[in-house]
Amino acid sequence: MRVLHLRLNGDDVEVAAPEHWTLLEVLRYRLGLTGSKQGCDKGDCGACTVLVDGKPQLACLRLAATCEGHEILTIEGLLPAHRRAHPGSTDADPVQEAFDRCGALQCGFCQPGMILSARALLNENPTPSRDEIRAALSGNLCRCTGYTQIVQAVELAIAEATGAEPESPSWAPNQNPWTPGGALSAAAPVEVDPEIPGGEA
Amino acid sequence: MKGARRTDGPAWPERDTLQVLHHDTPRRSAKDKVRGAALYSHDRRVPGMLYGRLVSVPVPRAEFEVDLAPALAIDGVVAAVKLREGETQFLGQAVAAVAAETPELAEDGARAVKLTFRELPFAITPDQALAEGAPQVRRGGNHSKVRPKGDEAATEEALAASDAVIDVTYRVPVQHHVCLETHGVLCDYRGGDEATIYASTQMAFGIPGAAAEVLGLDEKNVRCIVEHMGGGFGSKFSLDTPGRAACLLAKQAGRPVQLLNTRTDEFRAAGNRSGSIRRVRAGANEDGKLTALRIECEKLGGIGRGAGGPRPYHYEPGASYFEERAIHTHTDSSRAMRAPGHPQAAFASESAIDELAYRVGVDLVAFRKANLSDPVWHRQLDRVAAEIGWHDHPHRSAPGRGDGWIAEGIGFAISAWGGGGHRGAEASVSIRPDGGVAAMIGIQDLGTGVRTLVAMIAAEELGLRAEDVEPRIGDTILPPGVGSGGSVTTGSISPPVKIASYNARKAFAEHLASILDCPSERVRFQARRVFDADTPGRGLTWEEACRTLPKTGIGGHGAWDAKLQGSGVHGAQAARVRVDLMTGRVRVLKMVCCQDSGLVLNPLTWRSQVNGAMIQGLGQALFEERVLDADLGLALNAGLGDYKIPGTEEIPELVALIDEEDTREFPIGVGEPPVIPGPAAIANAVHNACGARVRSLPITPDKVLAALAKLEKEG
Repeated sequence: MRVLHLRLNGDDVEVAAPEHWTLLEVLRYRLGLTGSKQGCDKGDCGACTVLVDGKPQLACLRLAATCEGHEILTIEGLLPAHRRAHPGSTDADPVQEAFDRCGALQCGFCQPGMILSARALLNENPTPSRDEIRAALSGNLCRCTGYTQIVQAVELAIAEATGAEPESPSWAPNQNPWTPGGALSAAAPVEVDPEIPGGEA
Repeated sequence: MKGARRTDGPAWPERDTLQVLHHDTPRRSAKDKVRGAALYSHDRRVPGMLYGRLVSVPVPRAEFEVDLAPALAIDGVVAAVKLREGETQFLGQAVAAVAAETPELAEDGARAVKLTFRELPFAITPDQALAEGAPQVRRGGNHSKVRPKGDEAATEEALAASDAVIDVTYRVPVQHHVCLETHGVLCDYRGGDEATIYASTQMAFGIPGAAAEVLGLDEKNVRCIVEHMGGGFGSKFSLDTPGRAACLLAKQAGRPVQLLNTRTDEFRAAGNRSGSIRRVRAGANEDGKLTALRIECEKLGGIGRGAGGPRPYHYEPGASYFEERAIHTHTDSSRAMRAPGHPQAAFASESAIDELAYRVGVDLVAFRKANLSDPVWHRQLDRVAAEIGWHDHPHRSAPGRGDGWIAEGIGFAISAWGGGGHRGAEASVSIRPDGGVAAMIGIQDLGTGVRTLVAMIAAEELGLRAEDVEPRIGDTILPPGVGSGGSVTTGSISPPVKIASYNARKAFAEHLASILDCPSERVRFQARRVFDADTPGRGLTWEEACRTLPKTGIGGHGAWDAKLQGSGVHGAQAARVRVDLMTGRVRVLKMVCCQDSGLVLNPLTWRSQVNGAMIQGLGQALFEERVLDADLGLALNAGLGDYKIPGTEEIPELVALIDEEDTREFPIGVGEPPVIPGPAAIANAVHNACGARVRSLPITPDKVLAALAKLEKEG
């Protein structure tokens, strides 16, 4: 057992753990940070991906002790990090927002790792091509979604940052794949009509 | 096609008038999930909890004895239990479990359990199981009785008279579910009379009874919570071995125990999709009519029965005959997996249909339509054919050969499924004076978007936005849900949520009638306002209306009603592939699915389901296969490094098309049907590209090269 001094999600954290514990074990079983998932414990699935000094790392393969002196960012820290970097913002990281809007998740178990891999890619290269996005996410397995909406979400985050227009899918030329609505929409979502006041009764 | 619109009481509105339903709606759980705040059973932490680990014998079959004392001697190991006596039946079958203060100590404890065992002879492959003097797998023998269906004599006669006949065998190996969250349970029991089970399950309401029995408690004192769960695909229906072990350990320790399968446990002993071997003899005439179909099917479900699938597979031969039996081996039992039996049946039948179409030289789409009477498939086949570029494709009735380096081809397959709901589910909707609305039903959300659906249905009825309604699900203290299997969830929970919302609205309308000074029938709820239909300009905002409620609020309850749902869906898929003729590698370029499912309640989550199903089909087509060493009985790819599922690099362009010509005004589940046709469509596309007919999944490069070599030899 030893006391580890970690720089975690922008805070200094001291935690006692066996020397040979992985970062994932320390996060999940000492610090209660369960956002990083334990999908295989062998570096195969990517669900435990965290950022160490901005680079994606598999927390199940990295000893916690080797993380001393490095900046660790887990999924729990992504939103606070975004707000620290953008004072006054009430949004989450654009990648998180885009995953939400694009429906880029089903069971969601792979999402924390997937989102952090995407964040690391965009930190390195703000305008990656679709092939580069696929390559960057290829270590993160998802069994539910078919990945299509995940790649769309990363492309949305890029487009919003650069002001680019989304490309419509071939089968629905008028459909913006990033905007809820789509080809089926017959009516706008419910909105209160400001012209009709309430409370006259 | 069952189900119908009702004219009085709660009904689904005309789809053109829907304000919330039938519109893309982001998931209610998405914000928690993308922030890492969603709590899965893996993530639950309660005071004093222990961590459990399973123990198994390292050979497929053995007589064994377990000594738990060495495990219990380890400092930090708190409890140890036996799970089984006598013999094991397959590799990975748990015989004991230990619980300790940390997962690592539990692992130490599991290793310390002393196993004394004598290896017994085993049968891993079907050939071994059927060999003379084979070791017995099940008491009834190593195969089940043959289940015949159809007219054998007429089929043989029709085969003999056919212009073209094929006699081939198709093989599908065992596939794994690969839920990202492994099977696992936290049994929060601290002595006493009550327990809470946090389970990664597809059937929350099945857990309390099973756990109560193990814990020796009254069922009504056991609660199951499934706030989020990381995928099931059919494999998570019971308390299962991890759950039973967690309960036994918690009972012994008087402390909560969390027991999660390791990924290796998951591959070896958490179920699978059964394999199959199908010998197909089929005939067709030059006019493009299917004359005869004879299939002899062997289901490979290990110690389980395996899944069969439709007989015949939707096509309408002049005569047909089927035989089906299960072959038992000393391997983990198959379980339900997304459309059990259907992808296997589709692979054999759709490959055979394809082979016959080429033999008689008929366009592949035309041949299918000529042998399907249901017009829904006709229009769906036409739609996917148009989207995949069939009409400009050069190889529509004879396969291509490629340019010497690469070849591109297109393949088709169809599917059908039920997807209707069933009785048992109930729901409550309550409206509070602060304007809050809670829609409650104890159903679990496997990631399909049920939570969102519950909110959307209540919002539509009450004239609100989906985000105005708080869906409360995944807990057995709520009104009962059903098990999520067979794509029944939507059909089972939509009616009670709809009726509960309708009843809450009616009650609220009666309350508001005196305030709005109109009969309750004239009270309208629309766009977050409440008003008298005769004077729509006057009214209350939703919040103002709610403030008039008594402190206890107002609400409604609903039970399942068959009239608000239906069943019966069709689908067609097309795949475009590129085959590298030098290496045999297949790349899927595009997959198109056209699927009906009645009224699509949330197109956003619908598309995600369909996309995900197509990718699972792609995995089964190209990569996925459980590999066992037939001599040693060992699992050779019991990990995600060796058992490959598709990743981002393998995804083709996916096109999920709602069949808008399906105008049935009720919802039908869609989870399973789109997983069925993919492997067959891809196999058929490989043949269409280059003439290589691969009759065994997965379509690996070596099989493609072997088929190409055979083709060359035959000239």
